[in-house]
Formats: sequence, C-alpha cells, structure tokens
Amino acid sequence: MKKLSNGLPLGVDPVSRFLTLKVGLLVLLATLSLAVGMVMSSVAESLQRSLSGTLTVQVPAGLEQQSATESIIEILRATPNIRDVREIPDREINEALEPWLGAQAPILDLPLPALVDVAIESGQTVDIQVLTKKLSAVAPGTVVEEHSMWLGRLMDITNTVETVSMSVMLLVLISVVITVVFSTRTWMAVNREAVEVLHLIGAHDSYIAHQFQKHTFWLWSVGAAGGFALGTSFVLLIQFYIGRLSDSFLLDLTLGDIQWAALCLLPATAIIIVIATVGFTVKSVMRSFM
Amino acid sequence: MGNLTKKDLLVAAVGDVFRFEGVSMRYRLGPEVLHDISFALPAGSFHFLTGPSGAGKSSLMRLMYLAHRPYRGSIAMFGRDVSSLPRQELATFRRRIGVVFQDFRLLEHLTALENVALPLRISGAKEVQIRDQVAELLSWVGLGEQINAKPSTLSGGEQQRVAIARAVIARPQVLLADEPTGNVDGMIATRLMHLFEELNKIGTTIVVATHNEALLERFPHSRIRIENGVLVGPRDIFDTSAETVQS
Ligand SMILES: Nc1ncnc2c1ncn2[C@@H]1O[C@H](COP(=O)(O)OP(=O)(O)OP(=O)(O)O)[C@@H](O)[C@H]1O
Ligand SMILES: [Mg+2]
Repeated sequence: MKKLSNGLPLGVDPVSRFLTLKVGLLVLLATLSLAVGMVMSSVAESLQRSLSGTLTVQVPAGLEQQSATESIIEILRATPNIRDVREIPDREINEALEPWLGAQAPILDLPLPALVDVAIESGQTVDIQVLTKKLSAVAPGTVVEEHSMWLGRLMDITNTVETVSMSVMLLVLISVVITVVFSTRTWMAVNREAVEVLHLIGAHDSYIAHQFQKHTFWLWSVGAAGGFALGTSFVLLIQFYIGRLSDSFLLDLTLGDIQWAALCLLPATAIIIVIATVGFTVKSVMRSFM
Repeated sequence: MGNLTKKDLLVAAVGDVFRFEGVSMRYRLGPEVLHDISFALPAGSFHFLTGPSGAGKSSLMRLMYLAHRPYRGSIAMFGRDVSSLPRQELATFRRRIGVVFQDFRLLEHLTALENVALPLRISGAKEVQIRDQVAELLSWVGLGEQINAKPSTLSGGEQQRVAIARAVIARPQVLLADEPTGNVDGMIATRLMHLFEELNKIGTTIVVATHNEALLERFPHSRIRIENGVLVGPRDIFDTSAETVQS
C-alpha cells in the first residue's frame, strides 16, 4: 500500500534535479580546494622544518675538484657554528638528476659541481659572504647557497596557496548556505497554501521543517556524494602521478591519513550545514504566520 | 451518567472556550473590518454566525482559529490569553479546533484520504489506525468510493464533505464551520447538521457561519449576528463580565 503523504508536495522536479547538480559541483569544488589547502599546509610544515639552517656549497668542476673539495670540507669543519659537514655522494646527485637526464647521467660524465651539505648549529648564523670569500681562495668559483632564501620564497607561495584554497572552500560552503536559504524560501512561497493549511490545523514549525529537511537530505546527499566521489578521484589521480615522481620530489605532496579523514568529513559537514540551514530557514519563514 | 451531565461537567471545568474583549481586526494596513467585538462562548455551546456578505463572519473566524492576531483588544481561549501563548502552545491549541474553511483549502496534490488524514498525521498517529478511521469517516459522509480521488476531480459538494471530514477527524473540542452547507443539497446539509449536533452532544463547542435560512429555521440554536464588522446580537453572549463564567 502506498504510504500516506505528509502533506507537502515534495517531489523530484526539474528544480530539485538542478539543485542536486549544483550541490554536486559545490562539493566537488570544496573537496578540491580542501585537498590543495591541506597539502599546502603540510608542505609548509616540512619546509619550516628544513629551514633550520642548512647551506649547500658547490665546488665547480675542474681538474682538482676532488682535492679542492677535501680542503673546503676541512675549512668548513674548522668554522665556528657549523654542526655537520657532509659531501653529497655522486650517486645521490645522479639519482636526483635522473628524471631530467635519464639513466645515462653517470655515463655522460658531465662537469657537475661537487656538493657539500652544511648544517648550522640551531639558532646560530654563519656570515655567508665571509665564508664564500674564504672558500673561493681555495677553489675559485665556489658558491655558497643559502637554502633559507629560496625555501623562504617557496614557503611564501605555499602559504598563499593554502590561504587561497581554504578561503575558496569557505566561500563554497557559504554559497551552499545561500543556495539553501533561497531555494527553501522559494519553495515555501510556491507552496504557501499547503504550508499555511498544515500550520492552521496545528502542525508545529518543526513538523514542516522536518519534512523539507527529509526531502532535502536525499536531494543533497546524492549531489554531495557525487561531487565528493568526483573530487576524490581527481585527488587520487593527481597523487598517483605525483607518486611516480616522488623520488625526485623534495616535498611530500600526498595526503596523510588524518587529512583523508578530514576530506571525508567534508560532504558530511556540508549535509549537516544544509539540514541546519533548511530548518533555520523554514522556522524563520514560519514566524511570519501567527 | 447521561450525555447532558457530562457536558455540564465539561462546561464547569473549561468555562468559556472563547472570550473576546474589545477586539478589532484589520488585514495588514487595510481598514478595520471588525470593531470592538466582545463576547464569550461557553464550552459545549452551539451557535450560528449570521450576517450579510462582507460583514466579517470569516474574519471573526480567522481570529478564532488563531490565523490572525487582533489589532486591538484581547482574546482568551480555554481561559488563556492568546497573545501570551508561545508558538508551541498555539499549535497545540489549533489542534483542539477543527475548521471547515469557506473555500475548503484542501491540498490539491493529496487524495481525499490523505487530506482527511492530515490532522492525525500531525499529531503522530499510527498509519494503520489513520487509514481505517479516515476511510470510515469518508464513507459516512458518502465518499466511500472517492477516498483516492484528488480534490480537483470532486464536485464542490464532495470537496466540502472532505473538508468537513478533515475538520472533525481528530475529535476537536471546538468546530468552526464557515458556510459548511453552501454547496450541498438539503438532504446532505441536514445530515451534516446532525453530525455537528452529535459532536455537540459529546461536548464539542460549535460555531457555524451560514446564510442558509432553511437551516436556521430547522435547527434552533443561538444566533450571533454580525453587520459591518459589529456584533448586533444576541445579548446573552455579549456579557463578558466575570459573573457569566459558569461555575
Ligand atoms: N484577506 C483579506 N485581505 C483584506 N481584506 C479582506 C480579506 N478578507 C476579507 N477582507 C475584507 O474583510 C471584510 C469582511 O470579510 P469577510 O470575508 O470576513 O466577510 P464574510 O462575512 O465572511 O462574507 P461572506 O458571507 O461573503 O463570506 C470585507 O470587507 C473584506 O473585503
Ligand atoms: Mg465568509
């Protein structure tokens, strides 16, 4: 037997289908921006960690590169405030270059500079100009590179991207709320007669709100689920490609477990926001009745 | 215990169902359509509300079924000042009132059965019970064959009977019927009046707005007459001073 209607004409009409599509797109956008925001946030964190003073010394290729490097390492070890000095082995350099040059890098015997990693005591500084001058005396053309400079700039960019994507997500959620308020108000205006009759025979505001909430729940759940599925597929796809490059990437651009959990909470949060907004809107419209 | 005694007890317990004092009403910023209305209706009473078209019968009923706030004056229902009732309780009060609207106000997308079932659904009754109860009442008003019909496929008189069934299904304490016999023939009108009288016997307070002279002749109940938004009779309901409260 067909279930008795609760009194309001809530069917799946073209407007409802449009709303489902719209919420799908909004949740897709929110998912992507949240994913980007979270990745950027963890990138910024790991950058912060690497910023703790490191320098790279590049000894130019040449006949005496090997002995020059050894003298430079000795000088560095004798320099105050330096905690650790390590020559980066050829193998590591070749690996880092492999994605660009292919597996032949070692065979090509390119005139690559020798690289020396320098760790500075935490909280201390080393005068780069003085150091450069000292090292150049041993091997002309030696360069001392301060990571903090380009890392700092990268960090600025990362922070900006993070802020922008989180704001986009917030804006999307706000536009979800606005859409819900307007569609609910429109629906109530269109069905004013049915709403008023229910009101006059003694329906509580919450009865009317609840009916529309139930209706919206399905409508928006389908949209949110679709948008979320599409969004996470994108994220997974991007992660897959990054994963294939990850050896050569200095930074971890994948989402951790907690971040995935946060991402999964997004559609649920969106639905909760929608349901609460519907209830709030219906009740505020009902207050225009005695 | 006979019905009458039961009714007397009820009247004693509830007192006045409605008590209007100096009430006037206007629609939004329009002119006043009711002026300085004062009266009291004891529980269990039966009244006709008469008066020319446009006099304000439906408007007075709007105030009684809590669809409209008075512009001036005060309205008490079941001994409570309506203006002081919180929303939640207003809804509870409305459930104690059955209304037959002059223009029926059936919901077009619902069947006759679903329309009549609404007051029960709102109060959270079980679906199976609702179905039996509603089907029985609908066949009693002669619509046993049309329970699954949409209002638009019913005649005016049939719609009116669906509206009446919806008003009485939840056994309200007050029944307000605005021209409930306007679209039905004499025989059905009589039958509906008998239904109202049965409800009245078990204590339901009844107010029927009507132009129907024949009905007024046949059923000798108190008549409230309204002209141009002013109450003109009878005198006995006007006295809203404390002594008239039955004790
Ligand atoms: N919704 C409304 N908005 C503005 N004015 C209204 C509204 N309904 C009724 N009125 C006005 O209130 C006055 C009383 O109307 P009401 O419907 O109460 O009369 P009535 O006695 O029920 O008439 P009838 O016997 O024709 O049903 C009329 O002047 C009418 O124009
Ligand atoms: Mg009228």
